[in-house]
Amino acid sequence: MTIHLSIIVFLPLAAGLIGAALPRGYARWAMLAGTVAVLAYAVVLLADFDSSARGLQYVTDDEWIPELGIRYQLGVDGLNLFMVVLTALAWVPCTLVAAFRERERLFFFWLALAETAVLGVFMAQDLALFIVFFDLMLVPFYFLIGGWGTGDRVRATTMFVIYTLVGSLLMLAAAIALGVLATPEGGEISFSLAVLEQRSVPEGTQQWIVLLFALAFFVKAPLFPLHGWVPATYRSTSIPVLALLSAVLSKAGVYGFLRIVLPVMPEGSQHWQELFIIVAVFSILYGSILAFSQDNIRMVVAYSSIAQLGFITLGIFALEDKGAQGAVFQMLNHGLVVVPLFLIIGVIAARAHGSQSLEQLGGMAFRAPVLAALFLIVSFATLAMPGSANFIGEILVLFGTFEDKFVYGLVASIGVILASVYMIRLFQRTMHNRVGPKVESREIDGLSFAAIAPVVAVIVALGIYPSFVVERTERSTVQSIEAAKALSGNDPEISVIK
Amino acid sequence: MDIVWFLVLSAFIFVIGATGVLTRRNPLVVLLCLELMLNAGNLALVAFSRMHGNEGGQVFALIVMVIAACEVVIGLGIIVAMYRNRLPIDVDEMSELRG
Amino acid sequence: MTATSYGWLVLAFPLAGMLVVSLSWRVLPGRLAGWIASAAILGSFVSAILALIDMQDLPAEERHLVDSAWTYAATADFNADVSILIDPLSVFMCLVVSGVSFLIHVYSVAYMTGDHGHARFFAYLNYFVFSMLLLVLAANFVLLIVGWAFVGAASYLLISFWYRRSTATHAGIKAFVMNVIGDVGLVIAAFLLLDHTGQLDYLGVFERAPEVFSTNDSTIVWACIFILVGAFAKSAQLPLHTWLPDAMEGPTPVSALIHAATMVTAGVYLIARCFPLFDLAPTAADIGAVIGTATLVFAATVALVQTDLKRVIAYSTMSQIGYMVLGVSAAAYGAGLFHLMTHAFFKALLFMGAGSIIGAMAGIQDMDRMGGFRRAMPFTFVTFTIGALALAGFPLTAGWFSKDEILAYTLNRGGGFVVLGIAGYLGAALTAFYAFRMVFRVFSGKAVPEAEELEQGHLAHGEPQNPMTGEVEDTDVGFPGPEHVVAERSWPMKFAMAPLAVLALVAGVVGIPGVTDTLEHFLEPTFESSTYAEDHPSTSSEWVGLAAGAIISIAGIFVAFTFYVRRRGITLDLRDRYRRVHDFLWHKWYFDELYDAVFVRPAATAGSFGRRVIETDVVQGFIVGGATGVVRAGTSFARAIQTGFLRAYALLLFFGAAALLLYFLISSS
Repeated sequence: MTIHLSIIVFLPLAAGLIGAALPRGYARWAMLAGTVAVLAYAVVLLADFDSSARGLQYVTDDEWIPELGIRYQLGVDGLNLFMVVLTALAWVPCTLVAAFRERERLFFFWLALAETAVLGVFMAQDLALFIVFFDLMLVPFYFLIGGWGTGDRVRATTMFVIYTLVGSLLMLAAAIALGVLATPEGGEISFSLAVLEQRSVPEGTQQWIVLLFALAFFVKAPLFPLHGWVPATYRSTSIPVLALLSAVLSKAGVYGFLRIVLPVMPEGSQHWQELFIIVAVFSILYGSILAFSQDNIRMVVAYSSIAQLGFITLGIFALEDKGAQGAVFQMLNHGLVVVPLFLIIGVIAARAHGSQSLEQLGGMAFRAPVLAALFLIVSFATLAMPGSANFIGEILVLFGTFEDKFVYGLVASIGVILASVYMIRLFQRTMHNRVGPKVESREIDGLSFAAIAPVVAVIVALGIYPSFVVERTERSTVQSIEAAKALSGNDPEISVIK
Repeated sequence: MDIVWFLVLSAFIFVIGATGVLTRRNPLVVLLCLELMLNAGNLALVAFSRMHGNEGGQVFALIVMVIAACEVVIGLGIIVAMYRNRLPIDVDEMSELRG
Repeated sequence: MTATSYGWLVLAFPLAGMLVVSLSWRVLPGRLAGWIASAAILGSFVSAILALIDMQDLPAEERHLVDSAWTYAATADFNADVSILIDPLSVFMCLVVSGVSFLIHVYSVAYMTGDHGHARFFAYLNYFVFSMLLLVLAANFVLLIVGWAFVGAASYLLISFWYRRSTATHAGIKAFVMNVIGDVGLVIAAFLLLDHTGQLDYLGVFERAPEVFSTNDSTIVWACIFILVGAFAKSAQLPLHTWLPDAMEGPTPVSALIHAATMVTAGVYLIARCFPLFDLAPTAADIGAVIGTATLVFAATVALVQTDLKRVIAYSTMSQIGYMVLGVSAAAYGAGLFHLMTHAFFKALLFMGAGSIIGAMAGIQDMDRMGGFRRAMPFTFVTFTIGALALAGFPLTAGWFSKDEILAYTLNRGGGFVVLGIAGYLGAALTAFYAFRMVFRVFSGKAVPEAEELEQGHLAHGEPQNPMTGEVEDTDVGFPGPEHVVAERSWPMKFAMAPLAVLALVAGVVGIPGVTDTLEHFLEPTFESSTYAEDHPSTSSEWVGLAAGAIISIAGIFVAFTFYVRRRGITLDLRDRYRRVHDFLWHKWYFDELYDAVFVRPAATAGSFGRRVIETDVVQGFIVGGATGVVRAGTSFARAIQTGFLRAYALLLFFGAAALLLYFLISSS
């Protein structure tokens, strides 16, 4: 059967529109049906994907704005296959768990639009189309955070939007410059990535263009020091939206590196390699150290995400096949782990009168063994315990880093040790020790279980058979970093110590 | 009659109106002075129309009168709303639209 | 069925046991979960025996079979399958692990009676055995690391089994983090090996290593050192040893299984497995030997003054593993593994006995409150003493043969190893002393109230409390159950302890120098390519060593007898006279305090510094506040114009209009 990517991209939006038109109460079912349909379609895509084929599959290539050289191009290859599946998979439990009485239809409409935008980002093969979807992602999240959050949500959403917008605008300027400057004499301007990869831009120009792209992507990830929007946003956003923000949105940035920056501007990327690796390693350490010093459970996961994204960025900029493979795998793994993590946090908060302070939690496991078991599995996966797919991702990242940047790899390894500290601390302080003052231990409810358990099952399955992902992403990932890798002169024969 | 006298008169009335807008604090008076300015403009328009023998100026003066009427309606409506909400009828006090 | 199929069965049984128990725990009545789990391990043991038989049918050169189930992850030069290796070493380890585990499972069925977390315990225990078997059967470094980490996770779950006790959870996280440090060490070692040999599976790496590395090449030395880091974290050797005594927070069967017989021996297994690498890096092997000896002596000195029964046994484990590490680092692989086996027997036995004693004491573990149980608990007394005899290396016990074989090999190596060997004998003396210190303090002397009650036939009951802090607890889930069990009244416990007692006495028969070198011959196919394969001490020098060991052992027991039976109270005088030494030993040479100051406090400070200064002042204040500040400052002039005053706007309007008018007037003229 032929698979049309446009259907995957716009199906959620259609579901959202239908839900908005239906009477109140039916919106969530429409939305749920839509997300499940998208997931089913994504699974078919996954099953049909040919891991030995070169280049993009299921390409959609239509003219959009010919005067500006912008085409409507969608395509799937090893790089974004699992991002599409992750997005489809993540939206289902979050839709299931979301339960808002006020303005329900509007909420689900924004959620639908968000899914469409994210899918568009991952599948776009034209630079301008990518940016359109990238900025489009911001709109529904602005409303979702600001309209249905708690606490200081206005300030949080303002900071979130401004941070992201500044980055995006810089990226827009850089992208336009790239499109214009890459046009050869007498040639036609084009923003299609395939065309841009063939064209060349002088190295000096590449450097600042790469830097501007990096600014936008580092804000999205987030990495230190552009993570200022994180505390307020993570504290005030509602749980299902936060899960999606942390699991899926954060990947849009690092994905952009692999899809756009490295293949199109290899000289520029290689120039900044050392700086980006330092930012990544520092984020790993900073995120990990702050993660075990937090009292609020959401903030622990927030800082842990900074550290994990640091690992992913490290893998990308190690400019090594194994590192890049590890990074792509971790993009999937981190997303898979964060969704149940936040949903579990929601379940925990519901059993502690809304409290999310570790001081006041504790001992919840004694009447909630299933909840504790799910949380344990997810915690072990987050800290990349060997046996989980996260471990394979991390070991590939570390091995890729060790090849040429051994010392940075050693420092990053400390992050692995710290990860075990903060995750076990989080698990123990909520589930074990004496029962906290506000806790009423109750087993997980059926709805949350239905949302969380399938994702946990996928995590376990991937831990048993990680090769499923690794063999499908290999070809495109290697191709993506090929040019930059050649420039960095990574010679595998050189002995790395003394 | 020389047109100059009409223009001088128009200018006088305009300036009186302008001064009133700039110095008076009661919005009703400001509106009044605004009317003065508008009518001064009308006078100039009609004078020029007579000078050139062109009826365009007179037509334009009629349009200005319509606009003046509309604007007065809105202005008076605002003043009545101010009065009804017990706000001070003072142009300096109504400064909510500051930046 | 081939040997490797049996190998997969060995893994399948405990995994199946874990799944069955964990999924059906709500419906399993009484102690059924325990029996299912024990049956699973029995199945594993039987499969290991069948694998052994199959393997021995093959000629010696072919006794290393690899079987791959599926590709785990393969990209670039990183290639790891889920594959197992059946060779004498792995089969030996499987037998020891599954055999001892089975007995401990049976013991636990009785020990954990009445505990609300009964089923959870057995699920974890089966998971542990699965992980340990995966670790020893793995055929490549990646699967080794997976098994390594699973074992660490199982250890964490079992140490903090009574999870509502904060001392237990604290011990659990400490053990887990140290284990992760070991994991990271192994990851780095695996990378160094992959980078140079292009392989990750054992046979490939070991084949390529001599071609790629010259002796004492810095890379292979570092790779071996990182392997040692992993091994020492798991085997609780200096400096990564502080987790083991705290791990005694777990239920006693856990201490018996994990922290005596199996998990802590994983490091020894690893060094033995990687012997071709250590052959190429004598420097690393020497480091291993030195640390093994240092730990041996250190742990023995600390065990002299500890008053908690389980902790004495824990330190003795640490010390005995020091012997094993010394053995395998000195290339005495057969001897080291022999001691691993005998130690598994007598240490598990000691812990089981301790569990029985603690049951009699209604949960109290402090030896200061014990005494005179000899009449009340005859079975426990006999088995515990047998274990102590084996630990002390009393002549003809299994421990005597194994420990002194290691020391004989060590001395035979010559050079600096002689010093290590002498330290080993010193440790043996201390071992004999503290082993019988335990025996005499618990079983001889005046009977304490609990012992008297038991003699009347009445098991003591106390208020449930934390044995370390005395804090009162309840008996709900997450805390120990209300029942206490003693071996005398529990046939599963007797069923488990009796075979171990017999083995502790007669297992030496597989390693009598010059008469039966069964174990040595059995392991030969694995170790024959070692540089030191032919480097045996002569039979006569071995017997001399055995004699020396016997004398030292008897002397140590005699001194203990003197101090604790004939002249009671002399130790209290000694303690008062050498107060400083005693405190130093009692605080375990202040390692915990050292680590707290060097690692824990700075990390916490860094964290709070990050939280308070960097997040608040730098990021929010400077970056966020700064950016908004700049924007505010830049636009302040524009804001100043927006006064909200109608008349000001009107004025501006007029001025602007006038200016425009003027401009046009002037420019047109």
